[in-house]
Amino acid sequence: MTSQAAADRPNAVTTGRWRSRFFTGALIAPAALWYVVLLVSPIVLVIVFSFGTRNRTGGYTPGFTFDNYAAAIKSPDPFLTSLFLSTFGTILCLLVGLPLAYFIATRARKRKALLIVLLVIPFWTSFLIRTYAWLLILGQDGVAGFVQDLTGNTSFRILGTEPGVLLGLVYGYLPLMVFPLYVTLERMDRALVEASKDLGAPRWSTFRQVTLPIALPGLITGSILVFIPMMGEYVIPQLLGFGQVYTIGNALYLRFLEARNWPSGAAMGVGLILIMLVVVTVYVWFTNRGRTVRDVSVV
Amino acid sequence: MTQKDRDIESLFERMARAKVNRRGFLAGTGLAGLSAFIAACTPGSTAAPSAAAPSTAPVASTPASAAPPSVAPSAVAVTETEGKLFMYNWADYVDTDNIDKFKKDFKVTDFTYDIFSSNEEMMTKLQAGATGQWDVGAPTAEFVEAMVAGKFLEKLDWLKLPNAALIDPQFQQFYKGDKADLNNYHLPKDWGTTGIALRTKDVKEDVKTWKDFFDVAPKYSGRIVVVNSPGDVFVAPLKALGYSLNSVDPKELGEARELLRKLAPHVLALDSDTYDAKLADESAVMGLVWTGGIDDLKEKPETADTKYVIPEDGTLFWMDTWVIFKDPPHPNSAYAWLNFIQDPAVQAKETVTNRYATANLEAIKLVPKELLNNPTVFVPPDVLASGKLEGAQDVSTDPLRVEIWEEFSSSIGH
Repeated sequence: MTSQAAADRPNAVTTGRWRSRFFTGALIAPAALWYVVLLVSPIVLVIVFSFGTRNRTGGYTPGFTFDNYAAAIKSPDPFLTSLFLSTFGTILCLLVGLPLAYFIATRARKRKALLIVLLVIPFWTSFLIRTYAWLLILGQDGVAGFVQDLTGNTSFRILGTEPGVLLGLVYGYLPLMVFPLYVTLERMDRALVEASKDLGAPRWSTFRQVTLPIALPGLITGSILVFIPMMGEYVIPQLLGFGQVYTIGNALYLRFLEARNWPSGAAMGVGLILIMLVVVTVYVWFTNRGRTVRDVSVV
Repeated sequence: MTQKDRDIESLFERMARAKVNRRGFLAGTGLAGLSAFIAACTPGSTAAPSAAAPSTAPVASTPASAAPPSVAPSAVAVTETEGKLFMYNWADYVDTDNIDKFKKDFKVTDFTYDIFSSNEEMMTKLQAGATGQWDVGAPTAEFVEAMVAGKFLEKLDWLKLPNAALIDPQFQQFYKGDKADLNNYHLPKDWGTTGIALRTKDVKEDVKTWKDFFDVAPKYSGRIVVVNSPGDVFVAPLKALGYSLNSVDPKELGEARELLRKLAPHVLALDSDTYDAKLADESAVMGLVWTGGIDDLKEKPETADTKYVIPEDGTLFWMDTWVIFKDPPHPNSAYAWLNFIQDPAVQAKETVTNRYATANLEAIKLVPKELLNNPTVFVPPDVLASGKLEGAQDVSTDPLRVEIWEEFSSSIGH
């Protein structure tokens, strides 16, 4: 029916529409190609590999077996450790990031630009070097040693413990939480807060009923940006956790590189993707419930 | 200078010398990348290609017993190259003066040095189809088998490698029995051991064996560092029990598993990259380690009590070995390089720079005495003769080993 309707119209309009479609297509094509080549096809490959078997020298032999998944389910510990770390890491990032973003967006005035630059500056240095720096700060000749001297408790350490890893995670990913929050809070109309106060709402109610709902899209984006990479984090638990904190990243490294068992690693990777999908979906649904406009991203 | 200043200084030293932990994963990827970057920013040698003939004249007369599988006495070195050489190797693993000399002597203008940080990474690249990109490299010997099976290596033409005759046969003949043909695919670069490091001012016991290591571990609970490498960690329990370190026998591995279970709670860290820093600040006083970085500790006054022990109940020797990758873009350069690097003078310089033992019998004669007597570099001849050293086989993929390793690495410290 549509085609018939189109055929009834004058020819020039059809050409114009065709042309605009062509241009739209041409503009979308690079992005589409990017996604297919760099996102869709690797995921498809991982899924296909996860049903295969290991070939004698490593690598992949086609096959169809659920053994890899059975093995992944049999060792759930790294999944749980990573879930724990990234959940708490995200909450901590939020607790630190929200006040910071609020301050920069509403109170910093002239220093706003300076503070933003200060947030970005660490990115100029390699992530690995910055994590190494924490080894010195928290180590035997840093904070841990200081506390030991102070308390006389020689077994006190921060490195090689879960709090140490959490600290590293929050340090590493905090900017990813602050930026989206800042963007939403910056656009917030201050008049709304004043109106709330004028109408007699206490501070907490104003925050809960005015500021927070406005910041929500940024909060969701920030949490997802922080949560997902934390799930797959390898470097921080390895360096700051001394390998005592065994995460999904460790398990994937072991399977893909040490054991050269791609199918087994792929099954674990699919498990990781599934967990993240479930967590993120539930999270977005939960934070957006009752809202008519379902914002997910503003960045 | 305060302790902190020293720490920061040693951190920078580490960054500048990524080769300290040749097999460190993180050091390899990150810090090596940094040092490669720094190297790239440093102006290279501007020496014009010399017209002089290569100074590495083939060495003619050598004992027949030292000859690799099919070395013919008439072997002749390659002197004409394609002018380019693409190497794929561990970071900072070749003396830069030797590279300059090679470029000069063989009129090579484009010498590319690509880096891998683990054998596994190199294998993964090759399996993903990266053949024909590189000429030469130096993976660890146990990987030669899988690389040959994957058709990633060229069989060496010994007629083009007169200096191969200088290699100690016990290293050239790394593969035994029906695998002996694999020895035609590699030319030993250097080798070293996995052992025990001690801070003797803290550890008073005379730890001589892996068995001692396990016995004293509970006393130094929380102060033991272990490299994050299954192939090396399995050495300790298997050798303490008197088994082959390459065992995949379920019963033997089961016993090893028990020893590892008992060790795990006492371990401070699984760390391939900064184990020496942990020994330096005494957060660890005993370690199952590689030799990298240990000499630096011995040379510094405040950590001079560090000791490296080659366990008497036997241990692993690793060996990195030169190979020519399948379909090399510059085959003549590849052969010229392999022969050049085994020239005794060139090879001795490699040993001094890298501080790993050479397998070249003529080069050993040119190595300084103190290096020969240093157990972190060369193994004492009597230990070598005792047959307690065992080369690694590619067993890291055994499912039971993977399972035990996973259990161990997820239970350390608690």
